[in-house]
Amino acid sequence: MTSRPSTSSLAPISLATLSDPPIKLIDGAAFDYFLIEMASTLRESAAFATARTKRIEAEMLEAGLIPAATPAVAQSMSKKTGGSAAGPRDSVTSLSSTRGGKSTSSSAAASAVDEEDEPLRARLETIGMHVGTCFAERLCAHRPPFDDTLEVMKFICKDVWVALFDKQVDNLRTNRRGMFQLSDALFKPIQRVSSYLGRGETIKKARLYATLPAGIIRGILATMGYSGTVVPEITSVPQCTLKVNIKLPKSEM
Amino acid sequence: MPSTLKLNAVAFISPQNHPILIRTFSKQDENTIKYHYIAHTSLDIIEERANMTGKLGDCYLGLLYSMEDVAVYGYITPLKVKIVLALALSDAVVKDVEVIMLFKAMHMAYYSAISNPFLRLESSMDSSIDQSPHILVGSPKWKNFRKRVDEIARTLGTS
Repeated sequence: MTSRPSTSSLAPISLATLSDPPIKLIDGAAFDYFLIEMASTLRESAAFATARTKRIEAEMLEAGLIPAATPAVAQSMSKKTGGSAAGPRDSVTSLSSTRGGKSTSSSAAASAVDEEDEPLRARLETIGMHVGTCFAERLCAHRPPFDDTLEVMKFICKDVWVALFDKQVDNLRTNRRGMFQLSDALFKPIQRVSSYLGRGETIKKARLYATLPAGIIRGILATMGYSGTVVPEITSVPQCTLKVNIKLPKSEM
Repeated sequence: MPSTLKLNAVAFISPQNHPILIRTFSKQDENTIKYHYIAHTSLDIIEERANMTGKLGDCYLGLLYSMEDVAVYGYITPLKVKIVLALALSDAVVKDVEVIMLFKAMHMAYYSAISNPFLRLESSMDSSIDQSPHILVGSPKWKNFRKRVDEIARTLGTS
């Protein structure tokens, strides 16, 4: 350990290093690359997991072990796949697939496509949640505790966005009852998304990439103790609006 | 000049008031259970202090109370994880700055442990932060956490 002058007179050098480690930085472009690769890898992995679930479902149906009632299948699914990470997610897939089959929604094609992307979206959001948790711990390590949801949202818009994308959120609106709207005119993750199939495809792809930051926000809120949902809405690339809906604890209403 | 602090025990408590880790560094083994008791009683005082200071609260809660031979200090992270330090009571002046640095080092150790993405592999997708990962503190995944906490105690002792 090289010696360096310690700023506080009596504290030992090694403790100072431990208590306030320097912030590690990573190249911004790496984030973009990782996001692209992650989306395609997770899509394959999600498809694989779904195929495996469907195969097991089909086998069990054939063997007559289960009636066609699908919520029961979901439970047995999660038990059967045991401690693997895909277990609980499998149950979501089989449920959503049955929901897609039973409902007579507007267009079967749309529901099929959504169902396809649903496990991928779910995985991306979970990863975002985990990243959000750790980020929140690190970024607000040495500052006083937050008072209310508005403070938390302001922290997200300023500090977290700057740490992630090197800019602040352009606009934050609230209706003071737990609903917040973050608008960004130039949202970094979807800045370079484009598709030769036209605007509709582009927006669909962009929505996927916006799931990760949405998950990050959700993770941060969850560590603070607020449960809520974050929905990204994209009307035109590269603008993005994230709608945050927090379930307020009774004291803040 | 060497630090005069002697760390007896450290306790991490989750936002739901479940114990995460209680680690003792003193020699006598038969008294270690008393640090569980100390951590328990500190919870009430921490809650009282945290609600009292209100808007102008700070992370460091200072000296909570002192018992027979230990002085207990408290710290609450912005994410409601509480850290309780039991230092051996001595006549020497204990600088706030040193204790705060100790708390920050502990917080960093906790953060490094919690960043492990494989920690909560078995938990479900939309569970809110609950205590299930923390119950497994004895498991090998948390070994690095224990090592880091030990290292912090050691730097304090040898400096």
